[in-house]
Amino acid sequence: MDSNGVLLSVENLSTHFSTEDGLAKAVEDVSFAVEKGKTFALVGESGCGKSVTALSIMRLIPDPPGKIVSGRIMLGGRDLLGLSQKRMRAVRGNRIAMIFQEPMTSLNPVFTVGNQIVETIKLHQRKSSEQAWADAVEMLKQVGIGDAERRVYEYPHQMSGGMRQRVMIAMAVSCQPELIIADEPTTALDVTIQAQILDLLDELQRQNGMSILLITHDLGVVAERADDVAVMYASRIAETADAKSLFESPLHPYTQGLLKSVPQLGFEGERLPTIPGVVPDPLAFPTGCKFHPRCAIGCDDKRCQAVEPELREVRSGRDVACWYAPGYESRQEREEYESKYKR
Amino acid sequence: MGSEPIKNELAAEGRSLWQDGLRRLRRRRLAVVCFVVVVIYFGLAGFVYLAEFMDWRVGPVNWSQEVGKQYQPPSRDNIFGTDIFGQSVWRKTLYGAKISITVALCASFISVFIGVPLGAIAGYFRGFVDEIIVWVYSTLSSVPYILLILAFAVVLRDKSLFGHKLTGITSVYLAIGLTSWVGICRLIRGEVMKHKEREYVLAAKSYGCGAGRIIFRHLIPNVFHIVIIDFSLRFVDFIHAEVILSFLGLGEATRPSWGAMINDARIELSRGVWWQMLAATLAIFFISLALNIFGDALRDCLDPKLKTEQG
Repeated sequence: MDSNGVLLSVENLSTHFSTEDGLAKAVEDVSFAVEKGKTFALVGESGCGKSVTALSIMRLIPDPPGKIVSGRIMLGGRDLLGLSQKRMRAVRGNRIAMIFQEPMTSLNPVFTVGNQIVETIKLHQRKSSEQAWADAVEMLKQVGIGDAERRVYEYPHQMSGGMRQRVMIAMAVSCQPELIIADEPTTALDVTIQAQILDLLDELQRQNGMSILLITHDLGVVAERADDVAVMYASRIAETADAKSLFESPLHPYTQGLLKSVPQLGFEGERLPTIPGVVPDPLAFPTGCKFHPRCAIGCDDKRCQAVEPELREVRSGRDVACWYAPGYESRQEREEYESKYKR
Repeated sequence: MGSEPIKNELAAEGRSLWQDGLRRLRRRRLAVVCFVVVVIYFGLAGFVYLAEFMDWRVGPVNWSQEVGKQYQPPSRDNIFGTDIFGQSVWRKTLYGAKISITVALCASFISVFIGVPLGAIAGYFRGFVDEIIVWVYSTLSSVPYILLILAFAVVLRDKSLFGHKLTGITSVYLAIGLTSWVGICRLIRGEVMKHKEREYVLAAKSYGCGAGRIIFRHLIPNVFHIVIIDFSLRFVDFIHAEVILSFLGLGEATRPSWGAMINDARIELSRGVWWQMLAATLAIFFISLALNIFGDALRDCLDPKLKTEQG
């Protein structure tokens, strides 16, 4: 794998929410790195902490109740968590931009789309109004909106969902950010529009050389678009790998289960295999490995029930958090464990 | 450059809140009639201003100067009769409209300028700031409204502000404006609390907007229909407050106002002179009724929450 440098590295990030029912550890000890010009996918079920991770990177966790309790978020050698609010605002939209899931609600209904793109440009660049408006039209053309000179004066309610998402993308790329965080950018769209939007993101990535942090629950999208993948389960990263090896040889039982439950062409069973059980409640996580109650291998294992495995590199570029992953522990460790847990 | 343009992608047929609301408002005939009545009142008040400005001599220079026979009943010359100085009651009513509408407008603007920013700031930041603002308006609203206005009016009367002496009318609208921002403040605070959870606010933050920009550029325009609705409903209260203050002698002393007319008519009634009372009360009645019906219709049409209940 050719690596041309890391743009964003998240190190041991933990974000907690204090709710009335107790402390919800929405993100626990998450680490990953996004390389320059690459697409990094963060995959997981609803509620596993993907979006909270994204908002933590932007430092947009509502505080209270949320709080980033530990970790570092390094962007080009600088820890974002140490920046003042003012300097963080200069990063948002300028160096990191975000695209949201709901294009219907993430544009302000009382402004024209041009107004909003111009606002983004003028917040970060010293440009005259005429220049910014010309840029806005140019951005709309770049994201494939026909008749941009007229569309720039339209309100969000005059546009379809797909077009609004294009406008969101235009806003996001208007200041040529180094990183775009796309939080389920296609979930709310039709399947045909989904492909168009993802193609658009690919193309903009090629043009501008930006990195994309793609947050999704759609493994099909990951297989097609991502260079590297992290699979999240119950606030933690279960496995990270490059996309190709993840799909070829998933190491974590959860990833294996996910991949098996995707319908394949030529599949001839009665029912699709599923992972039994449900995602645990962040207020009441199981002890030990959080996946063990649903795991085919580890559900009866005393160590899986008692000790949470940390993320470890088992091969070059492959990290996994499972006691049973091949190469996860040395023979010595295994023997120690066996003497401790199996009488 | 760019993927191919998607000209044929049909834009969803959508209407904004305002277009939608105005369309529905136009369908209500009664509301339109009331709106016309309100416009006529404003027009008359405007006409009086213009007449004074252009020196057209529509009204007398001194209202307490005897100009004709006193207490003439309504006739062809004076449709509402004459008062103790022989002045036309119809003219007095016209000038009263000017005072009432000026006071209500100024008071509304003052209360909007205080209430909206405070409510938005309280709703957006919550916490300590919110507690202070809520404390201030709870304290204000715990004092009976009329007493509070009276207290303010008495205190402000004949004081000078920035070198200008506060004449009767100025102290009246200052008193009303400074005491009546609580309602709009509360409404805006609640609405902002709701809106700040919307995704477009998060999106605005994500491209680098600060708190001030989000409050004043993104949130307030989105909750502004509340201001319009409240403005139209509150306007009547302000007119009433002005009438009460001038009835009690705290308002405009040298020029006629509806409150002063009612006060004069109080004594005249015992002599069987009923026309001054009738003129003032009719004037108040029609604008109150029109504003109430119009304000209600406006609320039904602009408040999305009531959309399903009212056609």
